[in-house]
Amino acid sequence: MNAPESLVAELAEFEDRMHAFVQAVTTRVPIAQTPKTQVWSLNKARLYRYDANPHVKQHHRVPLLLVFAIMNRPYILDLRPGNSFVEFMVGRGYDVYLLDWGAPGYEDRNMNFEDYALQYLPRAIRKVKALSGTSEFSMLGWCIGAIITTIYAAMRPDDGLRNLLLLTAPLDFTNRDRLTFAKWTDERYFDLEKVVSAYGNMPAEMIDYGAKSLKPIENWVGNYCKLWDNLDNPRVVASWQAMNTWVTDNIPMAGAAYRQLITDFYRNNLLIQNRLHMGGERVDLGRIRANLLTVIAEGDHITPPCQSEAIMQKVSSADKQLYRIPGGHIGIMAGSTAHRTTWPHIEAWLGTRSK
Amino acid sequence: MPETSEEKAKTFDPFEPFREMRDAYLDAMSKTMIENVNSEAYAKATGAMLDWSLTATVPFREAMEKAMLQAMQQLSLPSRQEVAALAERFTNLELRVDDVDAKLDRVLTLLAHTHPGPPTEQADRRERPAGQES
Repeated sequence: MNAPESLVAELAEFEDRMHAFVQAVTTRVPIAQTPKTQVWSLNKARLYRYDANPHVKQHHRVPLLLVFAIMNRPYILDLRPGNSFVEFMVGRGYDVYLLDWGAPGYEDRNMNFEDYALQYLPRAIRKVKALSGTSEFSMLGWCIGAIITTIYAAMRPDDGLRNLLLLTAPLDFTNRDRLTFAKWTDERYFDLEKVVSAYGNMPAEMIDYGAKSLKPIENWVGNYCKLWDNLDNPRVVASWQAMNTWVTDNIPMAGAAYRQLITDFYRNNLLIQNRLHMGGERVDLGRIRANLLTVIAEGDHITPPCQSEAIMQKVSSADKQLYRIPGGHIGIMAGSTAHRTTWPHIEAWLGTRSK
Repeated sequence: MPETSEEKAKTFDPFEPFREMRDAYLDAMSKTMIENVNSEAYAKATGAMLDWSLTATVPFREAMEKAMLQAMQQLSLPSRQEVAALAERFTNLELRVDDVDAKLDRVLTLLAHTHPGPPTEQADRRERPAGQES
């Protein structure tokens, strides 16, 4: 092949790659495909029960309720077939439920953590227990969902919670030097009231911008370089697209909840000091007696490990375990190695405690 | 002779050094940027920018809201606040219905304990409401 022909061939290949790249970046792929049934709803919140796998005997008596953050879609737990925590747990005989908080509208701007933890969550739990026909249940809270489940566990210790799993839980805000969000929302620089009164709810775009700004090069450049380098690998492209579909599907955060997150948690660190009050009652972490598994992602830049460690000393649980795993905030549950690392550990821990 | 996949893999890729350079540059930039966004100066600067943009847009937003409110009133249409208040009332109603549902569940459970037997058709329907397939 002579030089001009070679150049034309190179350009044609580049054009094909560019076409594949743009298509991968702009195409939303099917996600959350594990069969499920909506069993309860309240306002924007929906509770789903995953259909039992007909080839697997449902041998765990205690149902598992999954609670994710309030400013992201929960289908990260059921990203795509073969890379779904939900599918994994259903395949091992668990009765799995997922609580989807939904996207708050302007009318929900006054919703706060008390509403989520003491109004919505107990009602969803009641439905879980009624449908499963058990008085006990397990609950997995991830990220902000871990704050909500922790508050619930401390406020309703006699409600049948047998196993509490906290994933990358931002509960302790003592070490402010390690918390970039704490610096950004410091009262000297960040006028919280002005932001909340201007927007009502915290816009999804601002939350997304904040999360991506923690690692700007990785999120805005490296992520796309990874796709470009792997365009010939359909497996990597499919995985990238599924994650990109989730990452770009953002929802706002209720204004009052955002205000509370900044003041009560980031600025005043009330929860871990047992000084947080909800519904006129103090949230006392010492009242948590459920079996506790805390999962820490060692490379987590959103919830650094220091935020999840102190809870272990605060609870009264006789059976508690801290599990550290290499990886990031999302990667430990939705990354390509999660099915070999995090999921089997969670399943093994839960399996012996769900009989 | 056709090239085997092993030979192909060994073929020199002229772009590989560029990729390595790019990755090294991105690594270095990443570390610098993470340090930057972690600094007090960055927090101060972004806070000031956000504050300035909100201050600058408030008069326009307020004027727009006022004009919209007047237009809605002229057209005999509810305002955003009124629609939001209505939605909040709907949510409160849903909460009440959920409370009633919980009480009904308790009554059915008590009945099942006092009169043991196969679950009623009504109880079955309550478990999985029709038309709620995802």
